[in-house]
Amino acid sequence: MAGRTLTIQAFLDQIQKIRDLVSLAASDAGFKDDENYAVQLAVSEACENIILHGYGQENEAPIEVAVQTAPGEIQITLWDQAPPFNPAKGPKQPDWPPDDPPIGGLGLIIIHRVMDDIQYSREGDHNQLSMRKRSTAFRT
Amino acid sequence: MEIVVKEYKRVSVMTVTGRIDSATSSEFEEQLNSLTESGRVNIVLDLSAVEFISSAGLRVLVTTRKAVKSAGGDLILAKPSSQVVETLEIAGLDVLFEKFPNREEAVAYF
Repeated sequence: MAGRTLTIQAFLDQIQKIRDLVSLAASDAGFKDDENYAVQLAVSEACENIILHGYGQENEAPIEVAVQTAPGEIQITLWDQAPPFNPAKGPKQPDWPPDDPPIGGLGLIIIHRVMDDIQYSREGDHNQLSMRKRSTAFRT
Repeated sequence: MEIVVKEYKRVSVMTVTGRIDSATSSEFEEQLNSLTESGRVNIVLDLSAVEFISSAGLRVLVTTRKAVKSAGGDLILAKPSSQVVETLEIAGLDVLFEKFPNREEAVAYF
């Protein structure tokens, strides 16, 4: 698997750097434009959750990302030093009436609809979130 | 992100360019609020040049739509980019917003 890593500070305008990294990796892995975009969206939502719900606000604390790819497959791992928060549990209300969508929780819904596998673990004082997606074009 | 608003007699057309994400959604929300608070509740959003929209942007769309609908107006989309359509579909919110293939047809809706 080919790998890329990046560390940003927990500012919302820094998330674009991670999206760019993921976009490059997904492109290398052979993801089509719509799947590439979906993965960027999911990782962006995960980073936003880390900053706004994990750390509670923008600050200089780190978010580290490692992206590994193989043909048709991408795995993204995020580490942060926020209090324990487990996005792998999934949204509490995945379904809702069309005219009354939830205002909160949309980010989690997006992450779980886009990614095939989501694993969370607490490693010492770090949260570790691993998300994996396989391109539909490579599925047998 | 850049926002341009053009006022017509019965409709306001807001054109957004760039990214609507957690770093920019508050400005997007402020611009929409300034329209609705001045009584402009028929809104066409031209999102043809939006290259990325996250849940932060969707939240603004949903809350604004709710506000204008309760005031007798509507919020509709003109030429949403493929990225906007994809985010709406993933979130399951695509059924919520009327979409028109161009700005003229969207304006004529009102």
